[in-house]
Amino acid sequence: MAIFRMHIPFLDEVKAKGLRQAGRAKADDIVTRVTAGLNPSDVRGLLRDDAPGRPNPRLTPHAEGFWLHMRPTYYHTLVDGLYPTFRLGWLATFFFVFEIITGVILMVYYTPSPNAAFENMLNLLGNVFLGSTLRDLHKLGAEAMVLVVALHMLRTFVTGSYKKPRQFTWATGIILLGVTLFLSFSGYLLPWDQLSLWAVTIGASMVEAFPPEVVGQTMNLIVRGGPEFNADGLLRFYLLHVVLLPFIGLIAFGVHYYKVIHHGHSLPPGSEKVGEDTAKRVPMDSRVYFMPKIITRELFYIVALMFLFLAAATFFYEAPLEVKADSLITPLHTTAPWYFLWLQGMLKLGDKVIWGVIVPTVLIGLLLVLPYFEVGPSRRYGDRRLGLSLAALSVAAIAVLSFMGTPWYGVSTSAEQEAVATLLPQTHPGPLREAEWEALQLGSFTASEYASAPNAEMAALLESFHEEVERVNDEARSEAEGVMVIEDWQTDLKKVTLRVIWTNLVDGSPGEYSQVVFLHRQAAYDRGGGS
Amino acid sequence: MTEALAESQAGSPASPPLSRREFLNYLWGTSLVIYLAGSAGALLFFALPRFEEGEFGGVITLPVEQVPPPDSPPAEFAAGRFWLVNLGQQAAADPRQPEGLAETPGVKALYKVCVHLGCLYRWEPTGERFECPCHGSKYLLAGAKIDGPATRNLDVFVIEAVDAEGNVLAQTEPTEGSRQGSSLPIPPGTVALRVNTGAKIQGASSSV
Repeated sequence: MAIFRMHIPFLDEVKAKGLRQAGRAKADDIVTRVTAGLNPSDVRGLLRDDAPGRPNPRLTPHAEGFWLHMRPTYYHTLVDGLYPTFRLGWLATFFFVFEIITGVILMVYYTPSPNAAFENMLNLLGNVFLGSTLRDLHKLGAEAMVLVVALHMLRTFVTGSYKKPRQFTWATGIILLGVTLFLSFSGYLLPWDQLSLWAVTIGASMVEAFPPEVVGQTMNLIVRGGPEFNADGLLRFYLLHVVLLPFIGLIAFGVHYYKVIHHGHSLPPGSEKVGEDTAKRVPMDSRVYFMPKIITRELFYIVALMFLFLAAATFFYEAPLEVKADSLITPLHTTAPWYFLWLQGMLKLGDKVIWGVIVPTVLIGLLLVLPYFEVGPSRRYGDRRLGLSLAALSVAAIAVLSFMGTPWYGVSTSAEQEAVATLLPQTHPGPLREAEWEALQLGSFTASEYASAPNAEMAALLESFHEEVERVNDEARSEAEGVMVIEDWQTDLKKVTLRVIWTNLVDGSPGEYSQVVFLHRQAAYDRGGGS
Repeated sequence: MTEALAESQAGSPASPPLSRREFLNYLWGTSLVIYLAGSAGALLFFALPRFEEGEFGGVITLPVEQVPPPDSPPAEFAAGRFWLVNLGQQAAADPRQPEGLAETPGVKALYKVCVHLGCLYRWEPTGERFECPCHGSKYLLAGAKIDGPATRNLDVFVIEAVDAEGNVLAQTEPTEGSRQGSSLPIPPGTVALRVNTGAKIQGASSSV
C-alpha cells in the first residue's frame, strides 16, 4: 500500500505522442497559464498586431488574471490621444511605483538616526556602487511626481472631469495629492543635512500655529517627537515616509483607480451632449483594445522614462546635500521645499494662524468638496468661463505666492551679511565654493577694483560682491567696501576671508563684518563636503 | 430598495420596529466606535514625548555670575535653547521699543526659536537687535518684535532667583494685562538662576 500516490500526466503524454510533441504541448500549456489565457500563437499575434480571432482571446487575461483585471479591456478612441488626459494619471502611477522601487533599494543603506543618517548619505555618494545615481533618481522622481500630480488635478478641473458621476474620484485624488506632498516633505528630512533639517522645521512650524494654543503645541510635540527635531522626530518622519504614507497612498490609489475604471475615462468635453456621460458606452468602431495597443505603448513609455531619468540623473542632476544638520545654527535664507513656497508666501502676508492654518485648511476643504457644490451640468469650456478663469487665476496666484515665499521677497537681513552671502550662501554651495580652485589667486582684492582682478573668474566674483556691498551704504553707514583675502593655508587648502568694512555716520567709527571659508582643491561642496 | 421607495412614495411610514438583533448590533457598533476612539486617544498620548529633569524641557540652573552685565550683548545658552539678556536702563528705554510695551530693567531668558516659523534667530551687534535668518523678523534685546513677518514678541522662560539656601527670592511673572513675560530684577543675595525651559510665557502679540 503506497503512502501517497503520484501521477505525472506529462509522462503519459510522452508515451502516447512522443517527447517532441508532448514537450511542445506542455510549453504551450505553461505559456497559457502564465499569461492567464493566451497561447504562444495568441501572444505572437498580439505582438504582431494581427486581427484577433473570434472570440477575442486577448480578453481572457482581463477576466482570468489578477493584474489585468484591474485594467479595462478597451479605451475610447477619443481618450486614446495625448488630449484630454495628457497621460498625467498614468505618469503619477509610474512615479509612485518608481519611488517605491528606488526607495526600497535606498533603504538598504539607511539608518534613521541623527548619528548615522548623514554619514549614510556620504557613504551612498562616495562608497556605494550607483549609490548617488539611485539617490538622484529617487529625489528627481519625487519632484516630478509632485509636479505631475498637481498638473493631473489641474487637467481634471479644466476638462470638467470632476463633475457627476466622478465626484468621489476627484475627492480621492485630493487625498492622493496630499499624500504626494507629505511623502515628498517627510522624505526631505531624511538626509539629515542643514537643508533638510531647517526646511522641514519651517514646514512643521505651521502645525504649531493650529488654534487653540494647547492643541497646536501638543500636535507640534507629537509630530516632531520633541520641541525640536532630533532622533525621535527623524524616526517619526522616516516611519511616515516609508510605512504610513505609502500605505494610505496605496489604498487611496486603489479606490481612485477603481472609480476611474468604473465610470470610464471622461471623454473630451465637446464630444458628448451637455449633461450626458457616455464614457462607458463605447461603439464597436471606437474601441482601442488594451491588448495590444495600450499595453505595448505603456511598455514603451516605461522604457523611455527610465532612459530619460537615468540619463538626467547621470549627466544633469545631482540631489543636493549640504553639511550635516546642526540644530543650533539656522542657515541664512532657509526656505521650505519649493512645493510649499506658496504657503510660505501666504505666511508673509500676515498672521500665522490665519494664513498658515485657516486659509490652507479652508482651501483644501473646498477642493475636496468642490464637485459636490459646483454642479453645473456642462463640461464644455464655453459654459464654464467663470470656473476656468478661477483656475487660471489660482495658477497665477500660486506662482506669485511661490515667488513671495522665496528669500527675494520681504526678507531683509543685514546688508553686510547679504553681501557675503552672495558669494558664500548658507543654503547651497554658491559661486565661491564652486569657483575653479586654481583660479583663486593669492592676495588681497578690493571688490570695487574688480576690473583689475587677475582673471575673469575672480573679476566676476568680485563684481557681484561689489554690487551687494554697495547696498550697505544707507542713512547710518557710508564708504562701504568689500575685501576678499585669499591665503595659502595648507597643501591644497586655501583660506578665503570675505570682509565688509564701512564707516558709521553717527560717530565716524569704523565697522566690520567678515566670514572665513576654507576651500580644498578636491572638496565636493555640492555633495555634502566642507563647511 | 425599490419596495421601500414605493412604500415611502405611497406615504406610509414603512419603518419596521426595532428588533432585538438590530438593537444589539447598534450596541456592538457603538461600543466598537467608543473603543476605537479611546484607542486613538491613547495613541496620541503614546506619541506625546515626555521630558526629564536637566535636559531641555526641564529646569536648568546657572550661577548668577553667568548673567551678562546690564546692557551688554546677550549670552547664549545652547543647551537650554535660550538667550539670557540683562536689560539695563539703556535697553529698557530703547527708542525702538513699540508703544505700550514698557520695559523695566532686569533679566530675561528668551527662547531662542523665532516665533514665526521656528528658525533660530541670532544677535546682530551692528544693528543691536536679533535677526531671524529665514524670514527676517527682528527683535530688540528685550524680545520686543520690531519687524515682521513674526506677529508677536519673543517667548520667555520662567526664571527663579534662588539664594544659597535654595529659597526662591523672586521669579518671572506675566506682565499685568498681557501674557508678556516681564524682566526679573535680580534681588540681593541671589546665587543662582533656575530657568524652567518647560514653562514658556508666550510673547504678547504686536501689530508693529
